[in-house]
Amino acid sequence: MALIECKEVSKSFGPKIALDRVSLDFQEGKVTGLLGPNGAGKTTLIRIINRITIPSGGEVFFKGRPIRQEDVEKIGYMPEERGLYRKMKVGEQAMYLAQLKGMSRQDAVKELKQWFIRFGIQDWWNKKVEELSKGMAQKLQFITTVVHKPSLMILDEPFSGFDPVNADIVRKEILRLRDDGATIILSTHDMGSVEELCNDIALIDKSRLVITGDVQEIRHKYGNDNIEVEYTDEDGRHTEVLPREIAGNNTLKSFIDRGITVNSYRELMPRMHDIFISLVTGKEEEQQ
Amino acid sequence: MNIRTIGLVIGREYNTRVRKKSFLVLTFVVPILFAALCFLPSIIMLNMKEQTKEVAVVDQSGIVMPYLENGEAANYYDYSSYDPDSLKNRLEAIGKDILVVVSPIDSASNVSVQTFSKKPAGVDFSENLASRVSRAVEDYRIKSYDIEGLDQIMNDVKARTQVKEYSLGKDGKETVSESGIYMIISMVLGMLIYMFIAMFSGMVMSSVIEEKSSRVVEVLVSSVKSIDLMFGKIIGVALVALTQFALWILLTAMIVGIGGVAFGPKLLQGMQGDNAAQMSEMAISGTGLHMEDAVAMMEDGDLKTVLTTLGNIPWGQLIIAFFIYFLLGYLLYASLFAAVGSAVENEADSNQLQLPVTIPLLIGFFIALMAMRNPYNPVVWWGSMIPFTSPIVMLARIPYGVPFWELALSIALLAVTFAVCAWASAKIYRAGILIFGKKSTWKDLWKWLKQK
Repeated sequence: MALIECKEVSKSFGPKIALDRVSLDFQEGKVTGLLGPNGAGKTTLIRIINRITIPSGGEVFFKGRPIRQEDVEKIGYMPEERGLYRKMKVGEQAMYLAQLKGMSRQDAVKELKQWFIRFGIQDWWNKKVEELSKGMAQKLQFITTVVHKPSLMILDEPFSGFDPVNADIVRKEILRLRDDGATIILSTHDMGSVEELCNDIALIDKSRLVITGDVQEIRHKYGNDNIEVEYTDEDGRHTEVLPREIAGNNTLKSFIDRGITVNSYRELMPRMHDIFISLVTGKEEEQQ
Repeated sequence: MNIRTIGLVIGREYNTRVRKKSFLVLTFVVPILFAALCFLPSIIMLNMKEQTKEVAVVDQSGIVMPYLENGEAANYYDYSSYDPDSLKNRLEAIGKDILVVVSPIDSASNVSVQTFSKKPAGVDFSENLASRVSRAVEDYRIKSYDIEGLDQIMNDVKARTQVKEYSLGKDGKETVSESGIYMIISMVLGMLIYMFIAMFSGMVMSSVIEEKSSRVVEVLVSSVKSIDLMFGKIIGVALVALTQFALWILLTAMIVGIGGVAFGPKLLQGMQGDNAAQMSEMAISGTGLHMEDAVAMMEDGDLKTVLTTLGNIPWGQLIIAFFIYFLLGYLLYASLFAAVGSAVENEADSNQLQLPVTIPLLIGFFIALMAMRNPYNPVVWWGSMIPFTSPIVMLARIPYGVPFWELALSIALLAVTFAVCAWASAKIYRAGILIFGKKSTWKDLWKWLKQK
């Protein structure tokens, strides 16, 4: 079921069109990668879902009905440009943002303390934000995004600024939250994490939706349907890429008949990176 | 409108500002200054009393000495039979502070006076001495004409005009008034409200800029409607201002009260009798600072007129008007400054953009200065009606009395203008806070205003 449905959503700033009739669903309990080059209109779409920006046309539905202002309490948003009050204490800051999302004081304290312990920053409660390292501030930002248990999380480049260890912690948290039923919109340029985390993708380019759907299906669709076979014969180890028609069962059988050891046999899937580039530049990249 | 989130925004704005060091410093320093202003005149008088100077006089003219009467400021001793040069060196030995040498009368019936002292004799002393010597010379000259009764004639001819003002109340009752007092109160009120409006609405602007430059604003508006955020901020700072006022009044009253109990009798002593008269005399002939109000306050110890005038000022109306005009003026300018703040990413960039907002405020201040001298000028009247200047100008007018309908009209206009400006500012603010990476101009602000 779709948690968020965008129907013909448009936005123009004066003569400039930022979004052009984008219709798009975000499925409940799934991670959807929102992709697109810089300036494509991703941030505008995210802000419209967040009700920060009012669309010029079209409508956004939340759980099947038009989205309302109260629904923002069910959304957690981590913008690409991170921001916290520099002069405020870490604990107060987190409390303020959590309460703005509708949490009571007591709940906010309880939940925040747990998150602080989980991220190993419980000693920072009374420090000022400006004393935090960049990584620490990022952790705090992530916590304030998720502490109110939102049913929709919008994460814009969530891994930027994290070292590999902390990026891994955040990655695990995202998956855990998804398993708990949260819907996640992940806007990123890091195609590796798209392949790893996303169930669905939506690609926006030049204000329009180019493609949306299941990651595996899309990769399949944009593949050349080639099979990579790795085998060992008397000359040694070989790797060969063959079209599916050729690399059928018969070929495999003939390999085995000839006493050749087949080490691996797999369908060659295009990387998201290549699909992205080919869709955005409009040119098919040479498949190896 | 979401009351809960506005409340949270107000709370944060208030708490962070009230806990700032600058707030605490200002809260305690200003009452001390106020209290010092209250006590200063008495303290000055008290100190004056202690400095009675011992003066040796060599009067070679033979006419001056009788005019040098001993007073609180100086005791004069006749050393006319001594040689001035030898006295100069023995001044300390004979226990005198100052040596005054008056020359013999010259052909033009004039004398010259020289003073010698280790420490400077002081302006007050020399002015006082000069006026006494002049009187001696004048009388000498009158006598030298040898016309009978001339001194009486000269005394009669001397005009000493004093203007006593009476304000005519509605019931035709005359009340004594003193325009000097009105001027001072009008000036103080105009300056205070100008300062407060500029200071606190500037605070709103820097708060908006802080949230934008730290980028926290995008997180905030994903939870709070931008209009709620803006008004929460404006209300929060207004509460800070009211807290500050309350503390100022309380602390000033406390300091003055404690000071009054502790030093009261002594200070009152300082104010007594000939001292006050002497002081006023010095103020007039003295420093050359011929401000009418200073004269008005001091002249002949006419304390009664001053007190009557103070009693005639509509204090109740004044205080209520101060709060109404401060609040509305602050709200108007704070919303305008919030719009300007939303368009810039750091304080330095704001200077150019805020000019069109600052100028009306300044114009208001200058018209208020005009109102202080000439409250019935048409420019002043219009200034007290036009909403962008009215909070400041009207406050400067009120001590002189303003008809109720003018007050009501001016307040109504101000409130309506605030509503319109707040609506426009909210639209500009909503768009402005999300625009990064380019220097915005007033043209951009206009564009955002028209955006749906």
